[in-house]
Amino acid sequence: MALLDIKNLNLAMTSYEGETHILHGIDLTIERGEIWGMVGETGSGKSLTGLSVSRLIPSPPGRYLAGSIEFRGKDLLRVTDKEMRVLRGRHIGMIFQDPTTNLNPAFRIGTQLVDVALHAGRADPSVLGLAAGASRGDLRRAAQRVAVEMLEKVGISKAATRINDYPHQFSGGMRQRVLIAMAMIGKPDLLIADEPTTALDVSVQAQILRLIHDLVEERNIGVLLITHNLGVVAQICSHVAVMYRGRILEAGPVGDVLKRPGHSYTRALLNAVPTAYTKRGELKGLNGLMPETAA
Amino acid sequence: MTLEIQNVTKIFPGPRRGFFDRGEGFTALENVSLSVQKGASFGLVGESGSGKTTLTRCILGLETLSAGSILFDGADIHKLTPLQMRRLRSRLQIVFQDPYASLDPRMTIHDIVAEPLVIHGDLVRLDARQRSERVLELLLQVGLTSAHLFRYPHEFSGGQRQRIGIARALAVRPEFLILDEPTSALDVSVQADVLNLLHRLQKELGLTYLFISHDLGVIRYICDDVAVIYRGRLIEQGPVANIFDNPQSDYTRMLLDAMPDPDPDRSPFRKAAAR
Repeated sequence: MALLDIKNLNLAMTSYEGETHILHGIDLTIERGEIWGMVGETGSGKSLTGLSVSRLIPSPPGRYLAGSIEFRGKDLLRVTDKEMRVLRGRHIGMIFQDPTTNLNPAFRIGTQLVDVALHAGRADPSVLGLAAGASRGDLRRAAQRVAVEMLEKVGISKAATRINDYPHQFSGGMRQRVLIAMAMIGKPDLLIADEPTTALDVSVQAQILRLIHDLVEERNIGVLLITHNLGVVAQICSHVAVMYRGRILEAGPVGDVLKRPGHSYTRALLNAVPTAYTKRGELKGLNGLMPETAA
Repeated sequence: MTLEIQNVTKIFPGPRRGFFDRGEGFTALENVSLSVQKGASFGLVGESGSGKTTLTRCILGLETLSAGSILFDGADIHKLTPLQMRRLRSRLQIVFQDPYASLDPRMTIHDIVAEPLVIHGDLVRLDARQRSERVLELLLQVGLTSAHLFRYPHEFSGGQRQRIGIARALAVRPEFLILDEPTSALDVSVQADVLNLLHRLQKELGLTYLFISHDLGVIRYICDDVAVIYRGRLIEQGPVANIFDNPQSDYTRMLLDAMPDPDPDRSPFRKAAAR
């Protein structure tokens, strides 16, 4: 049984201008130990696919027309909100693009981490290393310990004291590490990373990518990495899906898709990245290139 | 016409300690020297917090210098009178990083692009009709059309907004353009279009660029010379090919290694996975 199996996912969103069909039949299967990259331009629906998996699209305006998202055999589109709350954070971890807006500036890093740990611990005390039926005091103490451990694990030095800092005292890269720590506390089986490095410098980006890569090696989790950077995909992903206007144009192992792209759009995307060998004026944008492929 | 930056140091004052005392200042730029030749594209690479933006603010005269001097065409920018400074700004324009924050949401595109023409009215001397003609000419130059004239910024995509920012910077026919991370907020595909536009404009108008970025691929593509800045100090500078193919400092080498290559075979993570 696959870890995540998205079948024929169709999503429509309602706005003042009426209903728009956004996702046209997404099919994607993620196994444990795989890092799936999802690339595409702004508005291609890659983030909405990610949000659908954690079921964070409010309805209305969102409406699923057809399809299913099976996570370990259970259709996420049909579970109750209560079950979903347990899955989120505990079994499905999420990291978002902007580390600044995803941490509450009014609370200490520690408070926010402990909150997440407590939430996961209440659903399943074994996450915090406790037996079922542990007392609230035990849970809280364990949550505090786990928060410090996770912070150390993602490479923040002096975690025991830094945990009392506020988000503004952390740099962008460190905040992103805090978010990764937060996502990993529940020991999820699936991690959804929506543009985790877009707001970061290249050197910090390399560190974060290494961190995600090591987590996959160590815990054998599945990752859905949403990005528009083909360089990032080439670096850490095992598989890649190319999205355009709510459709997956091409999917497969990274080596096959990026080395021998079967679709002209993938080729165009690759040509838009300046490399060491691109001469000035040779770079090709995608303006006016796509209408014929767009249905 | 050249820009000459000589031994520039910028120290921001430290926090107040008591009534008269101040804590140790923060050295944002330390002894930075570089020169940009007419018609060239000069790239400045560095991480966030390395002093790139402080340097541009110093060049525009928005920050005072702690030491050193900045010469534009032989004149020391920080010794000019306010009127001379305003004259100079018509020759020295900037395109900002974030196209979502740098356009006034309550002004039409026409008004946004015409504003520099009004501000520099004593130099440009155009009446309202001529200004509108010039605005249209600029929009066409950056690949927009007359249909866009009276729309508002929120109706445009990121790439289009950055084109509007470029049109505004070009309005007063500057010779020198500072581009502060003009593509970092854009998708790769749109980035390619904006880079090509910048390249075309440089050829057509004979512009000089100071191009600031943390993306080494972009710098390599668009620039002739490059300087690497780290914690307020220039680590190395020289022609793009030299720096990229034969970096002298460990920091530059580290930056180059961190640059994600779209070729999966070159990934540092993929050595273990047999492929």
